[in-house]
Amino acid sequence: MAFINYSSREIQLKIVFYGAAMCGKTTNLVTLHKLITNAQKGELVSLATDADRTLFFDFLSLNTKTLPGFTTRFQLYTVPGQPIYNTTRQLVLKGVDGIVFVVDSHWDKMAENVESFNNLRDNLAENHLSLAQIPYVLQYNKRDMPNAAPLNYLEYTFNNRATKVMTFEAVAARGDGVLETLNASARLLLAKYSKTPNPNVAGLARSA
Amino acid sequence: MTGIGMLTAEDQMAIEQLLIDFLRKSEAQWSALVDKGGNLFAQYGDTGSLDLSILSALAAGSFAATHELAKRLGESEFSALYHEGQGMHILMSALHHECLLVTIFGEKTNIGLVRFYAQQVTTMLNQILQAVRDKEATMDPLLIEGDFLDQDTAAIS
Repeated sequence: MAFINYSSREIQLKIVFYGAAMCGKTTNLVTLHKLITNAQKGELVSLATDADRTLFFDFLSLNTKTLPGFTTRFQLYTVPGQPIYNTTRQLVLKGVDGIVFVVDSHWDKMAENVESFNNLRDNLAENHLSLAQIPYVLQYNKRDMPNAAPLNYLEYTFNNRATKVMTFEAVAARGDGVLETLNASARLLLAKYSKTPNPNVAGLARSA
Repeated sequence: MTGIGMLTAEDQMAIEQLLIDFLRKSEAQWSALVDKGGNLFAQYGDTGSLDLSILSALAAGSFAATHELAKRLGESEFSALYHEGQGMHILMSALHHECLLVTIFGEKTNIGLVRFYAQQVTTMLNQILQAVRDKEATMDPLLIEGDFLDQDTAAIS
């Protein structure tokens, strides 16, 4: 849940990167940490195993001046993708404001992607939330793979609900599409604080 | 719902005053009010150059994991969690509305004293949190003038 501190003029927002194991959630944060230069960024913290698999979460804090008169602090988290860590995913989703769902474009990963998306819905429900309440964007990662699934297939599989969401093609390891994904998620979250929200921003989240 | 949604300047001052009194009596080094989602609401004391966002996120994660352990043991929640180090220690105390009091202390004091005063201050913090929650329900949502998020404007770069 967003937190507004009127005393320090600060808004804190939590964005969670969700997706199947090895789809590139941690890579997104590592790349963001390298790419972001203007925003005041904290240290990237990874609670990972010796084999570099996320055990609890990765965390990156960004302070921006996006809203006039306020400092906006985006707190970026990833979840562990491996199925056995489901309780941990539920914990990381506590107080979430926005979600980036990372899809691995590899054909062989489709079943895992779908399972992870369903798992996201279940875990939001555990936290008394739903995808209808939490603004989310989709990132089709690993688009450079030779056997990447075509876009229309991914759209049909993951963005075939009554409410279409913003989608981004990405190669997170190279930095392609990573900032665009985060900015779209940030704009969706911030639009609700604008007296005159840009129709393009609000509309993108709702257009059929 | 996790934590609280907003703090006014008055609420902030009231909480900070409680933290100041608590630190003075317990001789702890730093204390903060955070929620289980990792948001830092208020803090007081000295942590040197530590990144407080990271500290809050890790404390919340640690407490959340302990909460799951408690559930599996048939407890609704562990009311406090203590990490003992060589020179620095952390005590986390559960508050209402999914919030936590995180206290860092060193060799100047001891766990008994910190825990005793932490129990006192949690009661008072819970009263403030309840008042904040009640007030939140009556406040208008924050809306800011201006078209500050043009589609082409990168919020983060």
